[in-house]
Amino acid sequence: MKYFTYILRNARRNPVRTGLTIASTGICLFLMMILLSFFAMSAEVSSASRIFNRIVTMNANGFAGMLPVARVRQIAAMDGVLAATPFQWYGGKYHDEVMPFAQFGVDADVVFDILDEFTIPADQLADFKADRKGTVIGRKLAQDRNIKVGDSLPLKGDIYPVDLDLVVRGIYDGPNNRDLRMCLFHYEYLDESLKQTTMGAGSGGSLATEASRISGNAGSIFIKCQSADAMVELCRRIDDEYRSTEFPTRTQTEEAFGQMFEEMMGDLKNTVYWIGAAVVVSLLFVAGNAMAMSMRERTSEVAVLKAIGFNKSLVLFLVLSEAVLVAGLGGAIGALGCKFLCDYVDVARFSGGFLPFFYVPWNTALLGLGVSLFVGFASGLIPAVLAANSSVIDGLRKVV
Amino acid sequence: MIPFKYNVRNLRARWKTTLMTVAGTALLVCSSCVLFGLVDGLEHSLTVSGDPLDLIVLRKGASSEVTGGFESKKADELLELNGIERDENGPVAAKELLNIAMAERHDGTHNNLIVRGVQPASRVLRPDFKIVAGRDLEPGKGECVVSRNLSRFYKGARVGGVIDLGEKEKYRVVGIFTAGGSAAESEVWADLKDVERNTGREGSVSCVQIRAASAADMDQLRTTIDESAQFRLSAIPEATYFENQSKSSIFLKGAGTLIAVLLTFGAMFAAANTMFSAVKSRTREIGTMRALGFSQRDVLISFLGESLLLSLLGGALGLLATLPLSFLTIETSNFNTFSSVTINFRFGPMVMAVALIMTVVMGLFGGMLPALRAVRLEIVSALREL
Repeated sequence: MKYFTYILRNARRNPVRTGLTIASTGICLFLMMILLSFFAMSAEVSSASRIFNRIVTMNANGFAGMLPVARVRQIAAMDGVLAATPFQWYGGKYHDEVMPFAQFGVDADVVFDILDEFTIPADQLADFKADRKGTVIGRKLAQDRNIKVGDSLPLKGDIYPVDLDLVVRGIYDGPNNRDLRMCLFHYEYLDESLKQTTMGAGSGGSLATEASRISGNAGSIFIKCQSADAMVELCRRIDDEYRSTEFPTRTQTEEAFGQMFEEMMGDLKNTVYWIGAAVVVSLLFVAGNAMAMSMRERTSEVAVLKAIGFNKSLVLFLVLSEAVLVAGLGGAIGALGCKFLCDYVDVARFSGGFLPFFYVPWNTALLGLGVSLFVGFASGLIPAVLAANSSVIDGLRKVV
Repeated sequence: MIPFKYNVRNLRARWKTTLMTVAGTALLVCSSCVLFGLVDGLEHSLTVSGDPLDLIVLRKGASSEVTGGFESKKADELLELNGIERDENGPVAAKELLNIAMAERHDGTHNNLIVRGVQPASRVLRPDFKIVAGRDLEPGKGECVVSRNLSRFYKGARVGGVIDLGEKEKYRVVGIFTAGGSAAESEVWADLKDVERNTGREGSVSCVQIRAASAADMDQLRTTIDESAQFRLSAIPEATYFENQSKSSIFLKGAGTLIAVLLTFGAMFAAANTMFSAVKSRTREIGTMRALGFSQRDVLISFLGESLLLSLLGGALGLLATLPLSFLTIETSNFNTFSSVTINFRFGPMVMAVALIMTVVMGLFGGMLPALRAVRLEIVSALREL
């Protein structure tokens, strides 16, 4: 530790170079955080949903398949089930904006018992339950669009040939890593409208396969189980129950349901990882180059150090520490800076509805920090070994 | 003017530093180019998909084929309209029905696939529809053809295989097709009647594709389809339709731009670092040149030129490194349709523009401060420097 001042002085000797290296590392790490967080975040959110004891049922052939709404009641009556609600994607347009935010038709009476991480004032919930055309929206959505309780929220059908004239009855809130940009409305309102539509049979889009033909499609069903132990067994029991019907189901935990979306991203994940890897290798060159340039300028100094009795390993240590310090500082600024920026600024807001929320998970931030330390170590290695093995005589004789 | 050879030789004399800088910046340029090549590929697939005389008919209010849908009865009437281009097989117009179903990839993961139920004319309505392996499907036999892109990723998606989309929906693959890089290359095509039957959606279509005989006919058709009480549908020129769909790539483009900007800054600092060091170790040389009578401007231009040359090497190497990726196809999910989309890397103007912009920015801005420092040196003290 007594050499720390010396290392620090050395690092500060060429402030421009050190500053540029730190900035370069910081920017690249900042970028890596954004890229990696996208996937790390969804994985973390899926696995965090484990504690809610929820399972999700959908048609075995995918989202677009039929899932008769009568099954919500049947499943809710099963042993081990606390409550169940339909969760039907409406995908309507808001002022001609296509897919502005997620909209789901739900059972107003139980939805907040099932999604119990969300909080909503009791009077607003009661208003929502009482109003067939009522809707409850997330706090962030309300902020984005400046919507208040009592405002109307007209949605135009895109997948479905019916429009919904919703009125905001409540605003729910919850943890920052949950979707606070949803619009939840009465399933019955959509279903009734579909029954009354004057459009002929088959006027729904592919994403709604059967729904508009005969209405009564639950889309998917969110189920709250009594205990974590019951989940796997329930998934099996529900699927067995409907196996030989016209519409077999696929039931999975909310965690697996979330992973399914991640799985769908396919090659994008690998592409992003490859880019991340390329950035790290590039940083090795950049930081290594800077360190090598510094050491070249200090050749005679190193020789003096050795002449006055610093041994090889100490020189090695001094040079490596300096490299790790510089890169680590860049990493800390980039990785932690990105984390805190995303914590304080709601970045997801600028994604045009693509992301409901965005944050950098701690393990990703720490990974970034680790990567920068590794970059420092690896980039300092060659200059350090060269310095440690340099000849004292040559070094002293050399005029830079 | 200081000869350019001076700069070339300097870079060569300090080859280790030059190499490190070039390798570092090349990787950063390459990463940005890969991203923009993919964005370009996605946008290209959408622009080549639209023929100027083609119309796509959707239910009013629907924003895309996967969300649109209307009665087959109306669709049949549409096919009878005047003004539709005709060839030896009748009108160049087709009813199409899309189904989205979950399929398994080779690696065991799943994604939704778009299965398009088509009529014979559908092929004419796509640019360069070609069967590249096997044969075209025969109607009513439960056969399908798969795009070449998808055939690389999905289980059973080869000639002789079976696309298994559930108990009631299985198609025998009889051929592999390409469609000139258009959006159809992310789809499975089966016979309209087969898809109708398998999905239980008889009497319904997702869209009708029409080619108008002339521009005047196209306007006439649009008015009829949009306004007559008989239809009340929405006829959109294909070019406009795909332009709207490309909005989905805006997020990708925005993200790509952000990444490229950040990487440019990273590369810029790396170049600046190298140039600062170059200026520092040549202080005496600079002093000598000034003493010989080269002006401050000469020195500035010389060092900027060296910086540009350095980043040009990096940029060119990075750009070259993307060449083998011309055959890169990635498969991911389009979150407007919740289904598979394949993107071909496209080495085109966009990639080259990105590489050029990055190169110039990092060369000029990265070299500016070091060059200015070189200019500001006092001749006497520079000559005195060790």
